[in-house]
Amino acid sequence: MQLRYVFTELRTGLRRNLSMHLAVILTLFVSLSLAGVGILIQRQADLAADQLGDELKILVNLCIDDDPSNNPNCAGGEVTAEQQKRIQEEIDGNDEAESSRFVSKEEGFENARDSGQIPESAVSGPNPVITVDSWPAGYWVTLKNPEEADGIISALEGLDGVSVIKDEREALSQIFGIMKVLKYGSWIGSGFLLLAAMLQVTNTIRLAALARRREIGIMRLVGASTLYIALPFLLEALVTAIVGVGLASGALAAFQYWGIEKGLSEHVQFLRPWVDWSDYGASLYGWFPPGILLLGLALTLIPTLLLTRKYVKV
Amino acid sequence: MIRFEKVTKRYAGPGKPALDQVTLDIDKGEFVYLVGTSGSGKSTALRLVLRELRPTTGRVHVAGKEINRMAGWKVPRLRRQIGTVFQDFRLLPNKTVAENVAFAQQVIGKSQREINKVVPETLELVGLKDKGDRMPDELSGGEQQRVAIARAFVNRPMILIADEPTGNLDPQTSVGIMNLLGDINETGTTVVMATHDNGIVDQFTKRVIELEHGKVIRDEASGSYGFQH
Ligand SMILES: Nc1ncnc2c1ncn2[C@@H]1O[C@H](COP(=O)(O)OP(=O)(O)OP(=O)(O)O)[C@@H](O)[C@H]1O
Ligand SMILES: [Mg+2]
Repeated sequence: MQLRYVFTELRTGLRRNLSMHLAVILTLFVSLSLAGVGILIQRQADLAADQLGDELKILVNLCIDDDPSNNPNCAGGEVTAEQQKRIQEEIDGNDEAESSRFVSKEEGFENARDSGQIPESAVSGPNPVITVDSWPAGYWVTLKNPEEADGIISALEGLDGVSVIKDEREALSQIFGIMKVLKYGSWIGSGFLLLAAMLQVTNTIRLAALARRREIGIMRLVGASTLYIALPFLLEALVTAIVGVGLASGALAAFQYWGIEKGLSEHVQFLRPWVDWSDYGASLYGWFPPGILLLGLALTLIPTLLLTRKYVKV
Repeated sequence: MIRFEKVTKRYAGPGKPALDQVTLDIDKGEFVYLVGTSGSGKSTALRLVLRELRPTTGRVHVAGKEINRMAGWKVPRLRRQIGTVFQDFRLLPNKTVAENVAFAQQVIGKSQREINKVVPETLELVGLKDKGDRMPDELSGGEQQRVAIARAFVNRPMILIADEPTGNLDPQTSVGIMNLLGDINETGTTVVMATHDNGIVDQFTKRVIELEHGKVIRDEASGSYGFQH
């Protein structure tokens, strides 16, 4: 196939509708950036839930020797096997608990170190302030209903061997709530803008088909294939999509670098780990939720295909 | 080459069909006039040959294929075997004469080498050897129609369809165009020409098919335009 005509047409097409193409590109740019931010927030929420437990969980810490809580439950020092069995039974038998998971001293210690809750200086050196032994074992208890934990908390509070019950549901549910609002907010905003971009694409094609109707008429008459006739339109759409996606992925990279790596992750410790470049990659190439590459291509090429079928039909 | 079998074409809406049970047969290499009053169905018949329209009932065969049942993706291939000329020339105003002719080759994927060879040949054939670099609006109507014929013929189609090609031209210029169509017919190309031009039909005697209200009312091997009933 001789493509010279196609590329000449592409060039004149891009120039002829320059302002329309710019409008499409800018709309795509903003909407795709928002969609990408939404994806990053979603992944951040997942990471935080893994690390902190989600709003359905409470943490029951067991006593250690010389427990810092000064809780009378810990008068006997380190929790005994007997006490622990009793605690396990209480959790298993409680109506408000869905399930539970035992977290050993080692696991808890490692998690805390990984997430930065213990500063590295406190565990290194010849005389570390914090050691595995001085870290409490515990249970993550998953609730049936995040609103109902009073029964199990009061039951466990009275048991020997229970030092502290960390109930971070309130704080966490606020954080997750904020993330949800941000995520859906950016997706809804992005959705409207993507709709606008799609309508602009439709308009651009309508105008381009109108401007080229003489050529198209002749091409049909002399037997040019439908694909050949549609190709300049598809390439125009492809170019705008690629530029829009390119700008958006640049904006997202800037957000990831300055906003997260050099910003939030340094100042907001408790949400660590923060999304990293692999999450950025997912916001670009992901399938579900669709990354901005897929979104950008789909939203420009699909309307173009549908419309050119209409205008270019033999 | 072209065969209509009981072809009826009804456009949307009420009213009589534009073509009504038309049966006709045009052989390879023939030159045929399609005459008849305005609205008698001439253009409709030509558009059926191009598969721009499909018959409501009946069958249309072109070059041995039943084109009313042809799959849509095969239609471009069919049209490459048919050249088309209209009353209003339909040239691209922003392309030169040579580019207009070359366009018909480019868009069906002919190589630049072939284009460089065939376009000048075809321009010479239509008598525009030295005018390839002109723009269409720098040409007379007759010359513009020659460009259109060059474009229709550049791919050496088996069939040339002309819908009132002399409709916008004075009699003298029309004679030149008819001579050109005659030359093309001499090369073995089947020519079907719809026309109102009685002078032309009487001067260049060919087969005449006359339509009236969508029906064939006359088919004469060497007829005149004004057949007296
Ligand atoms: N696209 C269309 N939609 C509806 N009716 C049409 C359409 N095209 C043609 N017709 C009708 O079909 C009939 C035949 O039209 P056609 O154009 O074939 O006639 P014609 O012989 O070419 O006339 P003319 O000599 O004026 O060009 C006319 O009555 C016309 O009004
Ligand atoms: Mg007509």
